Amino acid sequence: MDFIISLAIASLFAIGIYQLLRRNVIRSALGLVIISNAINLFLLAIGAYDGTVQSYAKAIGVRSDALPLALILTAIVISMGGFAFTLAMLYIVMRRYKTADIDAITELKN
Amino acid sequence: MNAHNVLLPIIIPLTGAGVAMLLRGLPRAQRWWTLGTLIASLAACVALLSHVISTGKSLNFQLGGWVAPFGISLVADALSVIMIVMVQFVMVTGCIYALGANDVAKRYSVFMPIFLTLTVGLTGVMLTGDTFNLFVFMELLVISAAALTAMSDDRSGTEAAFKYFYISQLATIFLLAANGLIYMSYGTLNMADLAQRIRADAQAGAGMPPMFTMAMVCFFATFMIKSAAFPFHFWQPDFHAAAPTAVSAMLSSVVVKSGVYGFIRMTTHLFAPFAPQLQQVLIVIGAIGVIYGGFSAYGTHHAKRMFAYSTLAQIGFMLVSIGWGGPLGIAAAIVFMVNHALVKSAMLMLSGYLASKAPVKSASFEVIKGLGKSLPYAGVLFFLGSMALAGLPPLNGFISKMLVFRLGIEQAQWGILATIGVASMLTLVYTMRTFQWVWFVPPEAKTKAKSGGDALLAPTILVLTCLALGIFGDPLVNIAMQAGAWVYR
Repeated sequence: MDFIISLAIASLFAIGIYQLLRRNVIRSALGLVIISNAINLFLLAIGAYDGTVQSYAKAIGVRSDALPLALILTAIVISMGGFAFTLAMLYIVMRRYKTADIDAITELKN
Repeated sequence: MNAHNVLLPIIIPLTGAGVAMLLRGLPRAQRWWTLGTLIASLAACVALLSHVISTGKSLNFQLGGWVAPFGISLVADALSVIMIVMVQFVMVTGCIYALGANDVAKRYSVFMPIFLTLTVGLTGVMLTGDTFNLFVFMELLVISAAALTAMSDDRSGTEAAFKYFYISQLATIFLLAANGLIYMSYGTLNMADLAQRIRADAQAGAGMPPMFTMAMVCFFATFMIKSAAFPFHFWQPDFHAAAPTAVSAMLSSVVVKSGVYGFIRMTTHLFAPFAPQLQQVLIVIGAIGVIYGGFSAYGTHHAKRMFAYSTLAQIGFMLVSIGWGGPLGIAAAIVFMVNHALVKSAMLMLSGYLASKAPVKSASFEVIKGLGKSLPYAGVLFFLGSMALAGLPPLNGFISKMLVFRLGIEQAQWGILATIGVASMLTLVYTMRTFQWVWFVPPEAKTKAKSGGDALLAPTILVLTCLALGIFGDPLVNIAMQAGAWVYR
């Protein structure tokens, strides 16, 4: 299980960074989201995540750590807001330049 | 004073933002409400400052009554109360500038509420005692700042906001990873608790947890992006030049301070046993920033860009004095931060004022050259501001630079001292060159100051505060010294 999770985190990071570095801005934004999902998965993996009983119950058994889950929930909500905002800005930028190529969006450079 | 009062500087602007959103149909009421909210919140900050400094004890508040290492805590100690007073004072003047400006941005009904949430984010970053909350407030700060920039009437405002938001999302990813790594190493996110455990571990000498160094590096990278320190500065001039004036003044003066504040917390508190290594890096990037920022500011042809690069240089001074460390180093950094926040926002507001008076709305030098003939009052303010930025007496910049140089002499760091000394001369060169271009070059035929334009009340307040802090520098320096001694005890 640990091996599969670490493999998943690693491949998500790899895919995310590859997409982030592409010239198409939409793909690049998707890369950002994939990386934040990789981080969320990493947050899940840092806590004890394979508990068998509820952490609030008095039952005896292995419990999961609840705090990383709370962190992930917060991080998901924030990254959702951030992604929506990015897409809104991309929509305006792309409509102005009539292209999604990051190398063509150069008005600020001079 | 009740510990609940720590909540006030966050809760007042936050509820104020909600109410301002409800008032969106009444623009006039909304603007005055925003100003009133910010002033009320500033009053709460000043009350906190006077309480914390006079009693010498920090105020801690546990949200929801959960005990310290488990719940979320807000901590108001000397460093954070000075910072929040600085932030909220500059935000009040920014709001006053926005009231008197004729930017398009002001006409959007969400401008004022987002301005308030920016205040919440900044204040929260400085008051929080929990690294995950630091992340939440940082995000609030980033989204607000990007949204405010995207509203600019500059055509490339959205592009600049997009660029900034991308870079900040990367910083966010670093910060979130740092939180995960630090939780993995120590099982807690409370800063005081973390600092204690890290110190105990370092003293035991049995080696740190495997992921600890990674966490430290991730925190460091985050704060470097936030403070726009040297290798991560590339987004900052674009972003600060394209934002509406009231916003760019805030971005260049107080928003970058969130990163510098993070460095102070890292080297004195969170990772105190590893401070020498971190400080070495800070000195190097600070000194490079001072030189690079100075020359870049000299080479630009746009007033706002020039001041944005100058921020890079001034942040360099703060990083160098944090790097030299010790109570005096932290005190020098605090004084520098406060003085820089005041003077940089005043200078950016004055550039925005010139742009609003110019025939084409732009602060580029070819547009504003010779514009100043009919604006003598702005000229006086600009001259005083340039002197403060360059560090000439009797303005406040002199006191902050003097503290940094005194610190360097005490520590006998002659190489760095000579470097930043020469580089700080550049400040005088580029500010005075601008002053000469705008006020002493005979105007071309087409250049004529428009009537109307932005109001000068906010920069007046800021420049007068600079003058007051330059002549009566004692209280600020004393409080900063107290805070400098405090963070090391």
